Amino acid sequence: MSETRNPVEPERENLPRLVVLLHWLLAASVFFLFVSSWWMLSLPLPSAEFTYRELPFQLHKNIGITLFIAVITMASMRVRALLREASSPQDWLQRLAVVDHILLYILLTICCLSGYMSSSYSGWSTTLWWLVDIPSMTAENDDLNILFSDVHLWSCWALLGLLLLHIGGAIYHGIGNDGAIDKMFRLR
Amino acid sequence: MKNEIAEANVSWLAVIIMLFGLLLLASYSNELLKQKVIGPGSSADLGFAADCRADELEEEQLSLEECQLMVSNVRIILISSPQWYRSYQLMLSSLGIAATLFSLVTAFGLINRQSPALRLTIVSTALLLIIDVAGFVAAVNIGPLLRAQYLWPLLLWICIHLCMLVAVIRFGQQSKMDN
Repeated sequence: MSETRNPVEPERENLPRLVVLLHWLLAASVFFLFVSSWWMLSLPLPSAEFTYRELPFQLHKNIGITLFIAVITMASMRVRALLREASSPQDWLQRLAVVDHILLYILLTICCLSGYMSSSYSGWSTTLWWLVDIPSMTAENDDLNILFSDVHLWSCWALLGLLLLHIGGAIYHGIGNDGAIDKMFRLR
Repeated sequence: MKNEIAEANVSWLAVIIMLFGLLLLASYSNELLKQKVIGPGSSADLGFAADCRADELEEEQLSLEECQLMVSNVRIILISSPQWYRSYQLMLSSLGIAATLFSLVTAFGLINRQSPALRLTIVSTALLLIIDVAGFVAAVNIGPLLRAQYLWPLLLWICIHLCMLVAVIRFGQQSKMDN
């Protein structure tokens, strides 16, 4: 295989290994959360007899909480680089990429927090990975549960839209062979 | 010029493998979860009536009919599945997850220009195609209500993996010619 690069594009810096790993972990988790949540909401409503939703909802919450920790870790590692990129002179595509990344972090955080708040107000308990009890920060409240559930729903739809933009960007860089894709695959 | 085109194909191919790999990983993981949750002898199978409380209906923005049909939906899955189907799907989904993870690793190998990556990508994509076909053949032999849910997505995956396999094989041939 050749080592030739497009000479127009500058060589890009490598990302820390943890950021690369977290990026792909987040990607896999987010896709799974979308697919599984669409399916689990078609299961019978919970009751003493019908417990079909128990495992999928617990899994959804476990992955969501883990995802939140991963997002905060990744954002704290990337915030300086994103701010530097945002303040340097750019064309509209680069500006769009920076905005897309910042919004992705914000929306992922809102999705996770609103999901937790909705669960907390619903009165259902959460045990992280069936090991650690996560205390409910609030008393049961149906109105607030519905409110945070709506925030969760709409922030997730917005996240899906942004993800499509992000994927479009990845394909654009893949075809352009400008090195942006390579840094997401380097674990050195 | 020729080398530039060849390398562009590697990045492009790796992005496609990662994108479809992550989607497929989610799909197989969800299938595994589905088979784990919906099993014979569960409450829908035993004929319990749906429990549709007004507050729950409002919270989920459901009508009473929709709530009742959710139980019927589970019954469709249980009644349309032959005895062998659940264990077959559990095995196939687990194999699918393993093969997908393997294909994701080969995408990393492609971008990092590791020499056996191309051959391993052919193997992993062929494996995924075989698993798709095995899933399709099984779905042909289940009840029509469930079959209708599985066949079309499986056909799409067969086409996607066939395109990817042909692309990787063709790219391998081009690489050999360039060298």
